[in-house]
Amino acid sequence: MSPNETVVRRSKTFFRSREGDTSQKPLLVLEDVYKYFRRDIPTLRSVNLEVQRGEFVFVTGPSGAGKSTLLQLVYRQHTIDGGRLLFSGRDISRLTERSIPFLRRNLGIVFQDFKIVPHWTIFENVSVALEILGTPAKLVRARVSETLDRVGLAGRGNERVSHLSGGEQQRVAIARAIVTEPALLLADEPTGNLDPALAIDILTLFEEINESGTTVIFATHDHSLLTTSPHRLIVIDDGRLIEASQGLRVWSARTQMSA
Amino acid sequence: MDIRTAFTRAKRGFRDDLRLHLVAVASLVVAFLCLGAAMLSVENLGRVADRWGQAQHLTVYLKEHTKQNDIAQLRLVLESLQEVEKVRYISAADAKREFAEQVDLGVDAKTLPTDAFPASLEISLSETADPERVASIADRVKRFGAVEEVETYRDWFDQMGTLLSAGQSAVAMLAVLVVICVLAIIGNTIRLAVANRRREIEVLKLCGATDSFVRSPFLLEGAMQAVAASLVAMLLLLIAYFAMRGHVEATLTTLTGVRTAFLSPALALTIIAGGGIVGVLGSALSLRRYLNV
Repeated sequence: MSPNETVVRRSKTFFRSREGDTSQKPLLVLEDVYKYFRRDIPTLRSVNLEVQRGEFVFVTGPSGAGKSTLLQLVYRQHTIDGGRLLFSGRDISRLTERSIPFLRRNLGIVFQDFKIVPHWTIFENVSVALEILGTPAKLVRARVSETLDRVGLAGRGNERVSHLSGGEQQRVAIARAIVTEPALLLADEPTGNLDPALAIDILTLFEEINESGTTVIFATHDHSLLTTSPHRLIVIDDGRLIEASQGLRVWSARTQMSA
Repeated sequence: MDIRTAFTRAKRGFRDDLRLHLVAVASLVVAFLCLGAAMLSVENLGRVADRWGQAQHLTVYLKEHTKQNDIAQLRLVLESLQEVEKVRYISAADAKREFAEQVDLGVDAKTLPTDAFPASLEISLSETADPERVASIADRVKRFGAVEEVETYRDWFDQMGTLLSAGQSAVAMLAVLVVICVLAIIGNTIRLAVANRRREIEVLKLCGATDSFVRSPFLLEGAMQAVAASLVAMLLLLIAYFAMRGHVEATLTTLTGVRTAFLSPALALTIIAGGGIVGVLGSALSLRRYLNV
C-alpha cells in the first residue's frame, strides 16, 4: 500500500475530498506561520516551508529554537496563531478536535523519550497503532512481524520493552510509528538519548524508511548526524526558519561563539 | 472501534492493574453480598406473608369443661357457613402433645400443665373470605356460651405486613447504598487506573485514537468489575444458603408452614446485570472527571 493510499484509507472526513489531487501537491506547506506561547515573543515567526512527498528533511537549531514546536504544530499538539499549515493540501489549523485523531493516523511520530509503554511487550507497543485503525488481528500479527523485522527486532515481539536497551526501545517506537505506513514520519530528537554509534544506526534506519517512500522530518541538534547524511537542511533560529547551508553557517557560528 | 479490541484492551488493563482491580472486586463482593442477603430475607418473609395471607384461618378457644354436645352444635353451625372449608377439633391433651412435638423446650412435656392448652376448633376458611367477613364470623362465634375467645390472627397479619414493608424499605435503602458504594469504588478504581496509565493514554492519542477508543476499555473494566463482584456474591450467597438450609429448614417450615427458597434466577440476573450497568456508570462518571483526552 502506498502512503497516498494509506492517507485516503484512514482519513475519514478530512482527506477524502482531496483524494484526486493530493499527489500533485507538496505533502506539507507552512505559509507565514506564527506561534506564540508568550504574547510578546513569538516562538515561531513567519515560517515558510514546503516539504515534498518522499523527502528527507533535517530540522536543526539550538535548544529552545522552536524545532519541537514546529513538529507539534504538524501533529496538532498546538494550533498555529497566524498563517496557514497545509497537510496533503488541507489546512490542518482548521481541524476540529474530533478530526485530529484522523490527521494523526496519517503521521508517524518518534520522540526523544520514546513514549512507549514500559510494562507492555514489544508486540503490544507496536500493534496498538494498528488496533486504533481497526486492523483485523491476523493482519496485525503479520504487519507487526514484518515491521519488527525491518527495525531489527525480528522474533522478539514477546519481550517486555522495560528490559530493552535505549537503542532497542527507540527501534520499538520507530516500529510503532511506521507500522501503519504513514504519509509523514516526524522524528523529534530521536537520537537525543542515545550514544553516537546508536544515533548513526537509528538515522540509517530512518533513511531506509525514507527510501521506501515515506517522507521524513528529522529534528536534531546533533551536528555529527547532519554532516553524516546529505539531506535537505532547515535551521530554526530564534523562531525563524533559514534554509540549507546558509542557515547551518549561522547556527555553527553562534554555537562556536557561545562555546 | 470494535468490541473485541475493546475487550482485549480491557483485559490488558486488568492484567496491568491486577491488584487494584482485585481489591475493588473484593470490596464490591461485600456490598453485593449484603444486598443479596437482605433481598433473600425479604423474599422469604414475603413468601410467609403470602402463604398466611392466602390461608384464612380462625381458632376458636373453648371454655374448660365444655360439653361434647355444645361442641358438636358449634361445629354444625360453623360447617353450615359458606366460607368455612374445614373444622377440626383439638382437645386440650392433643394441643399439649402437638406443642411438645413442634417445640423443643428442654423439659419433659408431661410436666406442662394441661390447663395451659385449652381445647379449640381450628377453622379453615376459603380464599374468598375477605377480612370483614372473617371479623363478622368471629363476632357471631363469640356469642356462643362455650366459646372463651376467637383468634382471627389479624394482629399477626398486620405485624407481618409491617415487618415486610419495613424489610422492603430497608432493602430499597440498602440497594441505594450499594449503588452509591459501587459508583464510589469503581469511580476510584478507574481514577487510579487512569493515573497509572497516563503514558498509555498519551501514546494512544499520539497514534490517532479517538476519545471513544481511549475510554471504552475503562468503561468495560468498570462493567467487568461489577459483574464479576455480583456474580461472586451470588455464588457465595447460594453456597451459604445451602449450607444453612439443612440446619434451619425444618424449624422454619414448622413455625411458618413455608419452605425457604433462594432468590429467583430472574432476580439474581437482575442484580448481576444491574451491577454491570452501575459499573459502566461509575466508570463513565470517573472518566468524565479525570480523563482529559
